[in-house]
Amino acid sequence: MSVPVIEVVNLSKAFGPKVVLSKVNLSVELGESLVVLGGSGSGKTVLLRNIMGLLRPDTGHVAVDGRIVHEMSREELFETRMKIGMCFQMAALFDSMTVFENVAFALRRHSHMKEKEVQGRVEECLAMVGLKGTEQLKPAELSGGMKRRVGFARAIALKPKILLFDEPTTGLDPVMTDVIGRVILDLKHELGVTTITITHDLKSAFEIGDRIALLFRGECLAVQPPEEFKANPDPVIQQFLRGDADGPFLLDPPPPKRTPKGVNV
Amino acid sequence: MLTPLLERTGATVLAVMEEAGDFAVLSGRTIGSIFRRPFDGANLLHQFQAVGVNSIPVVVLTSLAVSMVFAVQLSFGFKQFQAEGLASQVEGLAVVRELAPVITGLMMSGRVGSAMAAELGTMQVTEQIDALECLATDPIHYLFVPRLLAALVMLPLLTAIAVYIGYWGGYLLLVTTQGQSSVVYSAEFYKLVELRDLRIALTKGLVFGAIIALVGCWKGYRTRGGAEGVGNAPTSSVVTSSLWILVSDFFLTKLLLV
Repeated sequence: MSVPVIEVVNLSKAFGPKVVLSKVNLSVELGESLVVLGGSGSGKTVLLRNIMGLLRPDTGHVAVDGRIVHEMSREELFETRMKIGMCFQMAALFDSMTVFENVAFALRRHSHMKEKEVQGRVEECLAMVGLKGTEQLKPAELSGGMKRRVGFARAIALKPKILLFDEPTTGLDPVMTDVIGRVILDLKHELGVTTITITHDLKSAFEIGDRIALLFRGECLAVQPPEEFKANPDPVIQQFLRGDADGPFLLDPPPPKRTPKGVNV
Repeated sequence: MLTPLLERTGATVLAVMEEAGDFAVLSGRTIGSIFRRPFDGANLLHQFQAVGVNSIPVVVLTSLAVSMVFAVQLSFGFKQFQAEGLASQVEGLAVVRELAPVITGLMMSGRVGSAMAAELGTMQVTEQIDALECLATDPIHYLFVPRLLAALVMLPLLTAIAVYIGYWGGYLLLVTTQGQSSVVYSAEFYKLVELRDLRIALTKGLVFGAIIALVGCWKGYRTRGGAEGVGNAPTSSVVTSSLWILVSDFFLTKLLLV
């Protein structure tokens, strides 16, 4: 078996008394697309931040291309990060710069491209996410969905081998959610990259994912191909798929369900 | 009863030490990154503009006001024992040695240091600093270094402007309203001032520049907790850097005058 591109081994992380991740194990093969599902606050973002080396694990480790992230020197870490494109939940665009400058940022700093080539590459990246002609706009002039896509364009500028998406569709309307889902699939097929997508949008999850994982109270419940995942009898998984408040998913019992006629017992 | 008190004191001391250590490490990393590649000229020029050029009106106005009010006080004071002639000499000494560097430093900590803290603080809470990290860019090198360099170059220059404007502030007051001869004033202003004093003033500007940029960037970089955090960062930066400007002014004066 080949060495996984990303390997998460026994990863635990706590903030003070709050345990966010507890012995999570995951591995992603070359060219594979893994979708990580989970409720709000289940540690999905913390998982990505550990992969990027933005957080240090309490125990366990994350290895990218067989090398342990938190043991790298700063220079090695930056070299590894050049191979990874990270798309933030709220896009995290540099708001003092235009769209063009945002996408060109890494190219200007890390590649030896001439300004003309940079311009070509930026146009190419923006075309890939369907945002041609927005170069001179500022992030404040963009809608939520456009910001995310500029974030994608910025992440793919250096032609990374790995793309990480942190809740790319949260807070967007259903149509834009579908657009983003298609953009991610396009990127995956055109660039052949390995991706990890964190989401709680089931529709796009099943479209994007080769395998689906569910994080629940800091633990990884299942990592399975979409069909097997749908058929998994685990009550937590089934409740999550149904989107029902009643069940083992919540720690605190939800308020009772009301019908137009009153409380349904 | 004693144990909780000791515990609290201990915890406070540890917290202060931790803060000081964090500041020292970040400052060290900033200074260590100055000569690292890539060199971002456009970014540096932008900071020169933000820190230096855009601050000239503020420095001119404050220096003018302070030097004029100081001239009023001096002329009134020396009149008590018929020594009005000394006013311009003491004015020169005070402006060059203390007023110009300290007032410039304090004003710049309010204008420039707070802006740095607010900008970096906003970048921190909107994940823009994490985005820099993910784009394989050291935020210390990209954000701290140009701000530090701009402050190191611009604060001495602004101090020099403040000295020059201070001369004319005293002139306006002592010559035009107190009836001193302009020839006497221009000769007397520099009578007690030596070249060394100008050097001291510029050195103070340099040190204050370092304090303003490093404290402003540090407070911004360490911002936590959304809008409240972003609101606290500039306040805390201005208070901390003003305090250090005043404390270091004392020691610099003591050391450099010997």
